Amino acid sequence: MKKKLNIYTCLCILLISIGIKAQETKPLIQSKLEGTVIDAVTKEPIIGASVNIKGTTHGVLTDFDGKFFFQTGQKFPYTLVVSFLGYKKAETVVNENAVVISLTQEQNQLSEVVVTALGISKEKKSLGYTTQSLKNKELVDTKETNFLNNLTGKLAGVRITNSQGDMGSSRIIIRGETSIAGNNQPLFVVDGVPVDNSQLGSVGGATRDFKNAIADLNPQDIESLTVLKGPNAAALYGSRAAHGVVLITTKSGKSQKGLGISFSTGITLSQVTTLPRFQNTFGQGSNGKFSFVDGKGGGINDGVDESWGPKMDGRLIPQFYSNGEAVPFVAHPDNVKDFFNTGLTYDNSVSVAKSDDKSDFRLGVNNQKQLGTVPNSEVNKTNFSINSNYQINKSIKVGVTGNYITTNAPALPGGPSGNRAAGVMLQFLWFGRQVDINQLKDNRNVNWNNSYYSNPYWNAYYNTTSQQRNRIIGDIHLDAKITEDLNFRFRTGIDYYNDRRKYKIKYGTNGTPYGSYAEDAYTVSEQNTEGIFTYTKKLNDDFSLDALGGFNIRNHSDANNYQKAPRLAVPDLYTLTNSRDPLTSSNIYSRLRVYSAYASAQLGYKNYAYLNLTARNDWSSTLPSSNRSYFYPSVNGSLILSEALNLKSNTLDFLKVRGGWSEVGNDADPYQLSTVYNFQTAFDGNPIQTSSQKKLNENLKPETTRSTEVGLEASFWKNRLHFDVAYYNTNSFDQILEIKTTASSGYNSQLINAGKINNHGIEVQLDGNPIQTENFKWNVGVNYSRNISEVKILDYDKQIQNYTIGSSGGVDVLASVGQAYGALYGTAYLRDANGNIVVGANGLPKADPQKKVLGHYTPDYLAGVTNTLTYKNLELSVLVDASVGGELFSGTNRTGNYTGVLAQTLPGRDAANGGLNYYINGSTKTLLPSGTAPNGATVYDDGMIFKGVYADGTPNTQVISAQEYYKASYNISEAYIYSSTFVKLREVKLTYNFDKKFARKIGFDGASITAAGRNLFFIYKDVPNIDPETAFNTGNAQGLESLALPTTRNFSLNLNLKF
Amino acid sequence: MLKKLTYITLFALTMTSCSDTLDEINKNPNATETPLAPYLLTGSLKQGADLYWGSDNNFNSSLLFVQHWAKIQYTEPDRYDVSNTSFTSLWNTGYATLITDLNTIINFPADQANTNYKGIALTLRSWTFLLLTDAYGSIPYKEAGQKVTPAYNTQKEVYTGLLEDLKQAQSLLGTTNGSVTGDLVYKGDITKWKKLVNSLRLRIALRISDKEPALAKQAAIDATSDAAGVLSSNNDTFKFTYTSSPQQNPASAWFETRDDFRISKTLVDKLTDLADPRLPIYAQLPSDATVGKYVGGANGLSNSDANSQGFAKTSKPGTYFLTSSSPAVIASYSETLFNLAEAVARGYISGNAEQLYNDAITASFNQFGITNAATISTYLNQASVKYDASNYAKSIGTQKWIAFYGQGLDAFTEWRRLDYPVLTAGPATVLDGQIPSRFFYPGTEQSLNGVSYKAAIAAQGKDLLTTKLWFDAK
Repeated sequence: MKKKLNIYTCLCILLISIGIKAQETKPLIQSKLEGTVIDAVTKEPIIGASVNIKGTTHGVLTDFDGKFFFQTGQKFPYTLVVSFLGYKKAETVVNENAVVISLTQEQNQLSEVVVTALGISKEKKSLGYTTQSLKNKELVDTKETNFLNNLTGKLAGVRITNSQGDMGSSRIIIRGETSIAGNNQPLFVVDGVPVDNSQLGSVGGATRDFKNAIADLNPQDIESLTVLKGPNAAALYGSRAAHGVVLITTKSGKSQKGLGISFSTGITLSQVTTLPRFQNTFGQGSNGKFSFVDGKGGGINDGVDESWGPKMDGRLIPQFYSNGEAVPFVAHPDNVKDFFNTGLTYDNSVSVAKSDDKSDFRLGVNNQKQLGTVPNSEVNKTNFSINSNYQINKSIKVGVTGNYITTNAPALPGGPSGNRAAGVMLQFLWFGRQVDINQLKDNRNVNWNNSYYSNPYWNAYYNTTSQQRNRIIGDIHLDAKITEDLNFRFRTGIDYYNDRRKYKIKYGTNGTPYGSYAEDAYTVSEQNTEGIFTYTKKLNDDFSLDALGGFNIRNHSDANNYQKAPRLAVPDLYTLTNSRDPLTSSNIYSRLRVYSAYASAQLGYKNYAYLNLTARNDWSSTLPSSNRSYFYPSVNGSLILSEALNLKSNTLDFLKVRGGWSEVGNDADPYQLSTVYNFQTAFDGNPIQTSSQKKLNENLKPETTRSTEVGLEASFWKNRLHFDVAYYNTNSFDQILEIKTTASSGYNSQLINAGKINNHGIEVQLDGNPIQTENFKWNVGVNYSRNISEVKILDYDKQIQNYTIGSSGGVDVLASVGQAYGALYGTAYLRDANGNIVVGANGLPKADPQKKVLGHYTPDYLAGVTNTLTYKNLELSVLVDASVGGELFSGTNRTGNYTGVLAQTLPGRDAANGGLNYYINGSTKTLLPSGTAPNGATVYDDGMIFKGVYADGTPNTQVISAQEYYKASYNISEAYIYSSTFVKLREVKLTYNFDKKFARKIGFDGASITAAGRNLFFIYKDVPNIDPETAFNTGNAQGLESLALPTTRNFSLNLNLKF
Repeated sequence: MLKKLTYITLFALTMTSCSDTLDEINKNPNATETPLAPYLLTGSLKQGADLYWGSDNNFNSSLLFVQHWAKIQYTEPDRYDVSNTSFTSLWNTGYATLITDLNTIINFPADQANTNYKGIALTLRSWTFLLLTDAYGSIPYKEAGQKVTPAYNTQKEVYTGLLEDLKQAQSLLGTTNGSVTGDLVYKGDITKWKKLVNSLRLRIALRISDKEPALAKQAAIDATSDAAGVLSSNNDTFKFTYTSSPQQNPASAWFETRDDFRISKTLVDKLTDLADPRLPIYAQLPSDATVGKYVGGANGLSNSDANSQGFAKTSKPGTYFLTSSSPAVIASYSETLFNLAEAVARGYISGNAEQLYNDAITASFNQFGITNAATISTYLNQASVKYDASNYAKSIGTQKWIAFYGQGLDAFTEWRRLDYPVLTAGPATVLDGQIPSRFFYPGTEQSLNGVSYKAAIAAQGKDLLTTKLWFDAK
């Protein structure tokens, strides 16, 4: 194989040489020269470097061994000019002796090229805003099944919130939430094609958290990922720029000279982290009593799904598996942990790429099989990708990209509505701590409780949520060179997918005795057609011009069709016709179209001063015709002070200041102009219509976001230290809000055009190489970002002070005037003037009838530090990231306290745990500091006193049982608000890059192996029992945790081979 | 070459100029902007019944307060350990669904709804407002559905306004005013609707009787002297009859998946004392056959104490109430008779209070399928049942309470007004021995209609469960 390749490559190089040679005059003298081009530091050969004889058109490319060969009429000595992308150009005078030419890597901000809006490459120095990129390596070395998670901690100003469990969504927010009510996720653009990142059909909490659609992409295919942070960078995307843009460039065959085959294989082990800490002293039951007969109240408290029962001290009690026989009542401390498996993900990719002077192509295939931590959960995903370009003639090039992605998940954890039939953590927080999970594993028909739950394995294996998604993303494009300066690009791209879910509940499931079956199908289509003219001209010695003008037509549609057989007729047949009842069904279809025209110009002066202008106009179908057209401009500039003022010194390499202002708009969702009535399931042949409870608005205007950004970039000591700081200020106003209104207004919500929110913040990126020797390098990358938001106005009449973003467990997430975005609003303890909690005569705390702001979910700042140590071929990198500030409401702690399963409910539960003695006198509990109770009354040792005062200010002395104590605050949200601050050891990665010579010896062009661990552990966190990072879903209602699946810690091993 | 590109560009740009296409694209294909009166009527009846008979307002709240049912598990609502998120559905569905849909009918032009539709809609809207004010006290009434932040009206304003609304409804209804479809309750029989209107007027007259006796008297006279009459047989009873899943009775649906309610011990004990033949209909025998008698669950126990009564050793509510086609009774013939008896006793109208009282009990027996005359007369002749003219509130209050079984909201209101039977809060209740006197306003009122809300509680008293409402004189 290898030999053949080499022959082929040589042939290519020869052909190229001949092609070039053919243009020359016949040589007079034959001079021969052999040489090698190598990297100055690594001494590795450089493949594909171009070697030219100075003053001629004669040039060759280096082969796989970095070697080149000349046979020319040129007389020795002559000068060679050697260049390669990313390296400094080198010139060497040669004679007939073989020569080795070393190239040094370019580390110069002056020539760095970055991808900007619309996929246009520009010199980074010319931009008046920040962009930040990640390379393929940073996405593939640690396999995440949702690649967005790989961005965590690596980009300043970008906040990723991890999925719950190991098969869920990830939320990405750039520079804070700029839309009060709308989607705040950035736009994703893959090779110029806007792609969908919806999270369809997830309502959050304990329900199934479906992956957001961008997770379909295979990171192996991604060449680079660039984040345009906010409107200043993304203004050309118009309506969709307000929340930033993530530009993804996939790999092509372009840089592959000759045929290249890459192979990558990886295996990842996942285990659940942050399981709640359970208590193992008291078992199922209530009031210290339990005895099992039928699990639904036939025995003593055997219908109770809580752990306020007897001590698990080995006393003999009939239990669910013992057929009435009294057996030892003992703890099974790992009964929850043992339920979960070690997750296993296999990931295999092969790609083939090739290019020549006319065409290039790359074909890739990736298969990923994930067996989740929840038993029976499984996802299979296969991606096929093609990227090919062909030069038709001197001026026209055509190309195509295509991705076909098929995802098949036979079973995903969590059900459609977080119900008792499928919620995983729900049944472990309402649980008996004595339950032996192995007894349940062996026989799914037995169960520890028949009032509410089914056997957890029954749920996992029978009550399944499955998902099948087929997706095509692709485009065809044409590039034409009209004149030397004027180019035209035309592209039409599509992202289309079908997503079908099937929800099965088995006949005989507790709570759903007849079972049920539902099908939920989505179809999403996003089509974009664009044409762009670009004009690049050096006007004179000082001025250069770079301009573009173009148009875009966007068509988006989505459809949903849901049908459910609410009760099955016969068991185990999952069809919509196997139903006792009429099917419940709904279908929604929506579409929109936006026409856009845009232009931009960049004027450069002497390579150190740049002015950029952009303008765009959109016409959106979702707005009324009078407000349909909207225009937005942007301006930004950069000045390279180090060049302009000639500040370059041994200390300072580069200094740039930049700044800009931009305005972007945003349209509405479809069908928001006229109020409608909905149909409900007909009653006995009588159709039912009813108000949609939502008053729409026929005078909607587009939303507007204005953003100002300034920044400074500098590097020192020959690029050993690089520094970038940005400050931005973003005002979004005329926001389209579906404000909740009191129902007594006739509607539960009304659509208005008013809200205003401000976000401002700073981002700092630092990159340094404290140690840099020939063999050893230590690189430190630091990023820090702080975003401060304030909701300014909700309606112009100032009647509305709060907008409810979402709710869970009695806590609302609000956009509240004068507050940071995402206020957590709920019931607080009633307190006296001194701040003491007020209790009633019964010794239980009282709730303040006035709800209060209890915290905010938005963090104060985010930071990430990556240390990379490179020794020869070995590279170790460690990423620690932190999110500081912000609060969350924890449903796990709330429920777990109520049910007494958590370790934190132990204090006070018996004398050994500090419980007070009391007896019951009539119906009042009376403290008994010592001695025996009067009249031989039973003495209990689980007394506790809630710390608080009576209404008259005197301290509470009323004893209550521990069970009452821990249940007392169930409806007081304040008790379960925690700081969400955490510091996490996010990633440790060890890579060995095989020596190229060695690799070649064993038949490869390159090989590397990476061992990595992700989400290893918390260095610090405040909230007990859960991972504070877990996202509720990808929506704006965050800061709510509701019996979320535990997150996972992953260990992976990856092997990359290149032939 | 350039030509081709120009064509492509022109083709694309021509598409941008058709604004009409964009309007077409934005026409909603999922729902209608033009509703139909019969469909709205069907929806209002169904959703009204669900609201009145469902868990939030009935068996998980008011039915516990009046000790018809009790909780044997998750006893928080039975201990009044509830919050201002507990009573949101009556408010939200009452206003944003029922009143809005009914207003849509009322505001239709004549060609979209004849006056009978409008009369029915106004009647149902009055009933909805009545439920709201009975439960919360002051409520948005005059400005409801008119403003984003409507002002609240006092109970006096609401009750007197409703009397006027019902008078108008009566005038809109007429057998010759056109036919009505979608009426699942009275099948378009306008004479029955007219009777219901008068029965509701009588109901409201008694609501205000302790506060505005003169107005109450006039209203009672108006209601009973109207030519259409009041509900005059069990066939006239206003009830919504469910069919089968998913259009099943809400209590029946609940019991399919959960088992946390029992009939209250208070009611079982009372029925046992009175040897009331309705007991086997109101309750089931405990599933543990060895118990062999009706055993109620005590109200207001801690979860553990409630549990220890034994799921199998206590009585579930009767199957009459728990089958999927069980009706939601909203205004019964029996209630009208009790109201007539009280109107007579108060001297508002003439008649024989004792006879009306006996008729009311008889109507209740008939309603639950007990028709044996001997059984009925034996019952009526008991000293403990006999009408006590010296304390009509006690006789009527107690028997009305029994007859209202399942109609939690009205049982709760009439118990507060008549103060009989005397109920005691359970041992683990959290209101210092008191039983709730109202519902909390939804917590969202504080944030969404704060100014109006504050004005309302300033006049009515703190937004507490124990704050007495205007009509509740004692």
